[in-house]
Amino acid sequence: MFEVRSLPGRIGLQLLVTLLTIPFLLPLVAMVQGSLAGAGFENYVAVLSVGRIWNFFISSIIISAGVIILVYVVTMFTAFGFSKFRIPGKEVYFWLLLACLTLPEVVLLAPLFATSVSTGLYDTYWAVILPLAALQVPFAVLLVRNFINGIPDELFEAARVDGASSWSGFIHLVIPLTRPIAAAVLIFTLIGAWNNYLLPLVFLQDPAKQTITLLPSYFIGQFSHDQTKVLASAVLTALPEVIAYLCLQRLFERGLSAGAIK
Amino acid sequence: MVATEPRSARTLAASPGTNAPSTGPRKRERRALQPHGLPWILPGLVLSIGVLYFCIGYTAVISTWEWDGLSPTPEFVGGRNYAQMFRDPVFWGAIRNTILFFVITFTVQTALGMLFAVLLHSRVKLGVVYKVIIFIPVVLAPAIMAPVFRQFFSADGLFNGILEFFGLGAITQPWLAQSSTALWVLMAITVWQWTGLTFVLYYAAMGQIDNSIIEAARIDGAGNLRVIWSIIWPGVRGTTVALAMLGAIGALKTFDWPWLVTVAGPNHATEFLGTIIYRQTIPNYDVGYGAAVSVVLLVLALVMAIILQIRGRERAR
Repeated sequence: MFEVRSLPGRIGLQLLVTLLTIPFLLPLVAMVQGSLAGAGFENYVAVLSVGRIWNFFISSIIISAGVIILVYVVTMFTAFGFSKFRIPGKEVYFWLLLACLTLPEVVLLAPLFATSVSTGLYDTYWAVILPLAALQVPFAVLLVRNFINGIPDELFEAARVDGASSWSGFIHLVIPLTRPIAAAVLIFTLIGAWNNYLLPLVFLQDPAKQTITLLPSYFIGQFSHDQTKVLASAVLTALPEVIAYLCLQRLFERGLSAGAIK
Repeated sequence: MVATEPRSARTLAASPGTNAPSTGPRKRERRALQPHGLPWILPGLVLSIGVLYFCIGYTAVISTWEWDGLSPTPEFVGGRNYAQMFRDPVFWGAIRNTILFFVITFTVQTALGMLFAVLLHSRVKLGVVYKVIIFIPVVLAPAIMAPVFRQFFSADGLFNGILEFFGLGAITQPWLAQSSTALWVLMAITVWQWTGLTFVLYYAAMGQIDNSIIEAARIDGAGNLRVIWSIIWPGVRGTTVALAMLGAIGALKTFDWPWLVTVAGPNHATEFLGTIIYRQTIPNYDVGYGAAVSVVLLVLALVMAIILQIRGRERAR
């Protein structure tokens, strides 16, 4: 876009980008540096020797997997239904779903709290999985429906004439053909579930069930404000996400961009 | 190929002897062949519309109660929670913070995102490295980065260290401990987190702009700034509109960063609607009041959503 031909000009541009990028790197540098202050790698050993740390990861994995499976299955059915079937009042249902697109989760706090206590779901994974999935489904349905709209009706008609039921059309056409958009849905659902803080904070009291987003507060209690170990635990929890992003850069950027433009 | 063969066979069978246009019977037949779609969308309706609308309705009901969230006999108080909220300076402070927060973070992110996108479209070396560094914050959880930022902006943190290194020791201060600076630190953190996404979206949008238009402008003597202002900026307008809406709704939703970095303080300086709702509902057991604030937040978010839909249509994606 910016056309600079001269060598000093190009060096200038390179310098400018570098200078602008440094502030983005600084907090990450501070995090690693702080985690190695004082006792050095001993900080990591101390954090890892707290056996509980794996519980937090396992809970996050269970919750993320639960949300992803639920969102994927429900989204595929619903998007296929909205795209390829005649449903009386379809528009009304669709707009009802779209109205949920921008619902802030914090709005659900009071009713979810009251309902989860009275139904016994409080302090179970379901109290986090269900609302998270419910919040992700509307946008996922919008994305996938638009994608399925692009698959020609003739394909489904042909399958029907060949004796295939809607169900086998779903399994043999919709599932394989929507793979690219499903990858985007998977990524923003995963990040949304993995990074969520509010719902685990409110609904998971048992430390054995808490997620990695609650790990820093746990360590602040555990190491009574020994900042270096708290930062070491932050590095350890951030690492899987950074590695996942570095391995799947394209997928993450596409998935999160799709998730952003609602 | 495979698809057309059975269809033509069917059309023939459906209209024997007549010369009727083939679309007529086909359409009717398609309808007959199509089973009811309702079972397909039912799981989605139950999960999302069921759960979410139930919660919204319940919130509205709770907002008329004086309730601790546990007692079996909530007291109906009508609009008292709302009256209390509209008289509460903390509520209006949160509204003011949200607006200021949105205006500043959106402006800075747009400027930075555009700048990075333009620069990285200009054959800069090692573009991937820059992109990765800017995008990593998007992926990281606020909950995990919060202790880092509390340390980073503390009185003896790295930020003040850097200021001293550049001879700016005079302006070092406990950034998070004073109400005059805490909100600005949260804005900086938000910009740090979301510029990567803004950049990636602008970068993609700029890739769609027809290069021949830019070439033509250059031949007509337009300089770099002129090209950016007159061709690129209008060319990515759709992305800007979408980002504005995203930012506005994001500002309304703000909870994680202020709660984890400053606990909405000092002295309510970083209060947002989300932090009020959480504090009233959970630690203060004033669930009715929390629900009343939730209803206001919901209405504001819905207004934004409607604007978003209208603008989205104008964009004609």
